Amino acid sequence: MEKTGVLSAKEAFEKLEKVGEGTYGKVYRAREKATGKIVALKKTRLHEDEEGVPPTTLREVSILRMLSRDPHVVRLMDVKQGQNKEGKTVLYLVFEYMDTDLKKFIRSFRQSGETIPPHIIKVILSICPSIFNIRFFFVHLFLSIWLQSLMYQLCKGVAFCHGHGILHRDLKPHNLLMDRKTMMLKIADLGLARAFTVPIKKYTHEILTLWYRAPEVLLGATHYSMAVDMWSVGCIFAELVTKQALFPGDSELQQLLHIFRLLGTPNEDVWPGVSKLMNWHEYPQWNPQSLSTAVPSLDELGLDLLSQMLKYEPSKRISAKKAMEHVYFDDLDKRHL
Amino acid sequence: MDFDLENPLGNFHDLPCDAVPSLFLIESDHIPPPNYCQSLKASDFDISVRRDVVSLISQLSCTFDPVLPYLAINYLDRFLANQGILQPKPWANKLLAVSCFSLAAKMLKTEYSATDVQVLMNHGDGGAIFETQTIQRMEGIVLGALQWRMRSITPFSFIPFFVNLFRLKDPALRQVLKDRASEIILKSQREIKVLEFKPSTVAASALLYASHELFPFQYPCFLRAISDCSYINKETVVQCYNVIQDIAREEYESVLNINSTSDTPVNVLDEHFLSLESEKTNGTNVVVTQEQDFKRRKTTDYGNNRRVPFSHFHQC
Repeated sequence: MEKTGVLSAKEAFEKLEKVGEGTYGKVYRAREKATGKIVALKKTRLHEDEEGVPPTTLREVSILRMLSRDPHVVRLMDVKQGQNKEGKTVLYLVFEYMDTDLKKFIRSFRQSGETIPPHIIKVILSICPSIFNIRFFFVHLFLSIWLQSLMYQLCKGVAFCHGHGILHRDLKPHNLLMDRKTMMLKIADLGLARAFTVPIKKYTHEILTLWYRAPEVLLGATHYSMAVDMWSVGCIFAELVTKQALFPGDSELQQLLHIFRLLGTPNEDVWPGVSKLMNWHEYPQWNPQSLSTAVPSLDELGLDLLSQMLKYEPSKRISAKKAMEHVYFDDLDKRHL
Repeated sequence: MDFDLENPLGNFHDLPCDAVPSLFLIESDHIPPPNYCQSLKASDFDISVRRDVVSLISQLSCTFDPVLPYLAINYLDRFLANQGILQPKPWANKLLAVSCFSLAAKMLKTEYSATDVQVLMNHGDGGAIFETQTIQRMEGIVLGALQWRMRSITPFSFIPFFVNLFRLKDPALRQVLKDRASEIILKSQREIKVLEFKPSTVAASALLYASHELFPFQYPCFLRAISDCSYINKETVVQCYNVIQDIAREEYESVLNINSTSDTPVNVLDEHFLSLESEKTNGTNVVVTQEQDFKRRKTTDYGNNRRVPFSHFHQC
């Protein structure tokens, strides 16, 4: 019953280079021979036993196929089954290829030096236009313009996932893919696709998932809600502005202490139920600081949105959909987003 | 990544109707194309093949949550729409039934006994015992035809959303309504006519029909709530409601025909069965609800696998 003319994955694609490797398989930049289109090819061997395609794989690929309709989720274009040299079944996930991610994007701006707030740039420019290096000026102007757009796209993609009852649980700049030409941002590494993340041990100074982890997760809450993703969105928002991680902890305890130093040590008043969480201990008592001390160049509306993303109590944290409606985005041209 | 596959709209309990539930936007991706229904009607043979496979799936699924056979039959319809009916052989029908059932069970993380499946499939037929690899190969073919879009959006996905609009406060009454609507949805899937409608429309129509049966005095309120929902086309719901009503009436007529030799006048018999059904339905569901309260901390939407005795009588 196999359709004639359907190429196997090996025949349909030309592997150009390996761009990633993980526990479950490899990631290649590849070209589809029929169309010349560049794709990300993720190859994984199914751990078959009597059950054929494992339920987990089946469920997660189905979710990716469903989510792929949103422009802000990386698109799973096709799924192909094949066999490797040993006759084992291999699954190829064919994703659209994105040339960079938000982590690399932020890093490229970090090298440009200190941040100057957009409104200061405008004032100085109007007085002494010749003072500034053109490149330096445009780099910062460029970023300040795109900050709103990138954040709006992120909220929109997250709202789409949450609208389907799907949490990401590992949002971070590394798995927010970007196209530099169009400045489109897409969420990646959902579910099975996450298995292809480069192993943590290859990064010497960064623990990938801790920095964006919500306090309720760190404190051992067993029931996650969509709020865990919005905490991550808030951390990413701050990092886009300052180009430094907001809470760069190197252990779970240090991660919590970073958070408490800025937002104040939580108690039952600001977060009912916090002291009953599994990992709760006595902590040094800090008073909350103003967010503007951590993100000095963000304007008042942005600080308000950020503060709502970083509420301690998960049920009080702003949702992705509500974030899209926040006045911070009012002057953003959303027609193409 | 984490999700509640069976209740994807559960997170919208506190949201107004004008929130944009994503499922309404994508449900068309998960149903057979519009011309499938017409091409089935055009061929008596195709209809009989579908009926056979549906029957096989129902046998395999009779002890499971109703979402499971519904999902499996959805896969069947989408597969037939894509591939056509190519193999007019009993063993091929069985293989297709087993594969769709197996894929649905995996999607729902339902465990089942492969031995039981084999026994059921061999009943009345001395032949085909399917190798595991054969089933796996067939699963692969179905997956390819459906492009791995296996998280089908079924009418069950929309029931909590609509029940929320009805503002029934008593949990027991909500459960009774959900159970009856689920039963209607499952029964109606066997009829080709219902395939023309989107899952959300089927869900709305089934709930309206169930509410008319169970809560006739509140029915106008429910109808208004459905009509006010911006994601529903009222005229389409009316059409679907009529189709569902016809199916339910056929159910009654079948029962009446079985007893046609009775000396009792037809109109008296009709009244008797209607009141009997009403009484037993209420009793059965109340018991089920109480049982659930004792056994579970959390009530699942489709945990009730029981059929009302009236239906069992019909199936004899």
